[in-house]
Amino acid sequence: MTAQDAIRQRAKELLESGEVATFIGWEAGRFHNQTTPLVITDAADADKLVFNEYCVNTLAKYARDVVARGKVGLVVRGCDSRAIVRMIIDQVIKREDVYLIGVACPGMKDRKTDELLKKCAECRHGNPVECDELIGEAGEWPIPEGRFAEVAEIEAMAQPERSRYFESVYAKCIRCYACRDVCPCCTCRECFVDQRRENWVGKQNNVAENRFYGLTRVMHIGDRCIECGECERVCPMDLPLMKLNRKVIQDLNNLFGEFESSLSIDDSVEPLIAYDLNDREEFM
Amino acid sequence: MILAKQNLAPLLESMANGRDVFVPAVVDGVAKFARYGEGVEPAFDLVNTTMPPKDLLFPQTQKMYHYDVDANGSYRIYEYDESREQVVLGIRPCDMRSIVCLDEVFLTKGFVDEFYANAREKLLCVSIGCAQAAETCFCESMGIDPQLAPNADIMLQDCGDAFNVIAQTEKGEAEVARWESYLEQGEAQPVACDQSLKVSMDGVVDKLEGMYDHPIWENLSIKCLNCGTCTYVCPTCHCFDISQENRRKDGVRFRCWDSCMFSEYTAMAGGHNPRPEKLERVRNRFMHKLNFFERRYGMSLCVGCGRCVEKCPVALDITRLIDEIGATNA
Repeated sequence: MTAQDAIRQRAKELLESGEVATFIGWEAGRFHNQTTPLVITDAADADKLVFNEYCVNTLAKYARDVVARGKVGLVVRGCDSRAIVRMIIDQVIKREDVYLIGVACPGMKDRKTDELLKKCAECRHGNPVECDELIGEAGEWPIPEGRFAEVAEIEAMAQPERSRYFESVYAKCIRCYACRDVCPCCTCRECFVDQRRENWVGKQNNVAENRFYGLTRVMHIGDRCIECGECERVCPMDLPLMKLNRKVIQDLNNLFGEFESSLSIDDSVEPLIAYDLNDREEFM
Repeated sequence: MILAKQNLAPLLESMANGRDVFVPAVVDGVAKFARYGEGVEPAFDLVNTTMPPKDLLFPQTQKMYHYDVDANGSYRIYEYDESREQVVLGIRPCDMRSIVCLDEVFLTKGFVDEFYANAREKLLCVSIGCAQAAETCFCESMGIDPQLAPNADIMLQDCGDAFNVIAQTEKGEAEVARWESYLEQGEAQPVACDQSLKVSMDGVVDKLEGMYDHPIWENLSIKCLNCGTCTYVCPTCHCFDISQENRRKDGVRFRCWDSCMFSEYTAMAGGHNPRPEKLERVRNRFMHKLNFFERRYGMSLCVGCGRCVEKCPVALDITRLIDEIGATNA
């Protein structure tokens, strides 16, 4: 049985038995090499579910949107499962709110180039880190090298080249906020950019405001980033958003020891949240 | 008249002499209409730019006026008019149709938006027809001929090695008169543009009348992220917000693109929000594209450029929605 058939069958059973109220997966898109997220409540729709190498969307954040209807079933690969773990730790959802059907990720393709997506090429965990059942077996997923290669490129730049680089990046931002809206760490009930009365970020589109938005988001996600790379994938202007996220992670590693967020619900508390008398404080 | 394709570059050079000419180009990795000059390589074979040309008439951020208070406590207001003579060369027929829509919004029904009117008055549009379509192009289904842009000042029909040059307005005729040394007599056969993506708008506008509470919106909106990508890459989306930045004794009033996808867009003083959830916002956007605008102005607010189809992070596809509406029994 293919993973797709198994997903359909399990979705059907879970919905029919009432074990879950909604089921989240992917369905075929307009084009043959495209899928789009699908949320179903009727077992009869389970046959719309697909699983192929074009399932580019990380699904976990939808669990937050539909959890009020009851238990949510969803397909999770490495990225989806880490996003779920993240949202559980952040108390957006509870573990018992979700039923996770794990599947080993084959690595997803960019429909434009038919090559492995950048986010998948950089991914460190193709297999789910948390699930209730696993379809098939966990796959081989060697950890790719060069996690901080892009950061090194930036660090190699001298001033003012680096300033110019980031100016050109943020000059392109149109502030559609797709990066925020797709991010499993961005679950504030009200985002600071939407707080118009406080006016943290002005509405003008210019490098200063765009950069302020981008950097604030990076720092706010900080040690919670799961490196799913969705922000970078969805950016319509192709901004290299993971560079800054990884810069923060690299700094965390240097300051607090090797760290990777959201690998388990029982993870020790993140370095920026934990307080330790031995914390380095050379900046004080 | 005919313009051989190898004459397009020298013609552009001559047009750009003393004028701002905007051409499709990839700048810092983003395909958009950029002012021709150093570092801007025209990409006339790009089927469509990622960013639409609307910012030539309606910039993402536009200063309206600034103000200050003098030592005597009197207010002074300084108006801005940053409009100037501009040419856009290589705008596609779908984007020309989007300007028809924007003209309706900003110039008709008893109100003229001065900022838009000034920029529009000073814009010369030279459209280049499409000899090939992108996978996501569906302008023909929206009633557009990919080799015709009736509201362009000048139409250049793609005929393979050359363009048919058709001056369509007085402004266009005056411009073409200056192109004489680049043109030849004759007429060529426009290349047929083969569009594979087709949808049927038959009955869609009328069906939507009765579909305000249809479950279709729930199914559609559930996957929407509520980001503003579709609205910002859309050539016809024209919502804006007026805001200001105050310093101590002076400040500036500006307007900037806004998006009906944002929750804050409809937030009212006092805290009420008439479109509180994704469902209401998604429904409004597509209703506006396919029904409301049609009722008010007699035309669709979707021109089939395919940008939202291409760029939506979750592949929420207006062409599939049109198909679905067509298939309902509403």
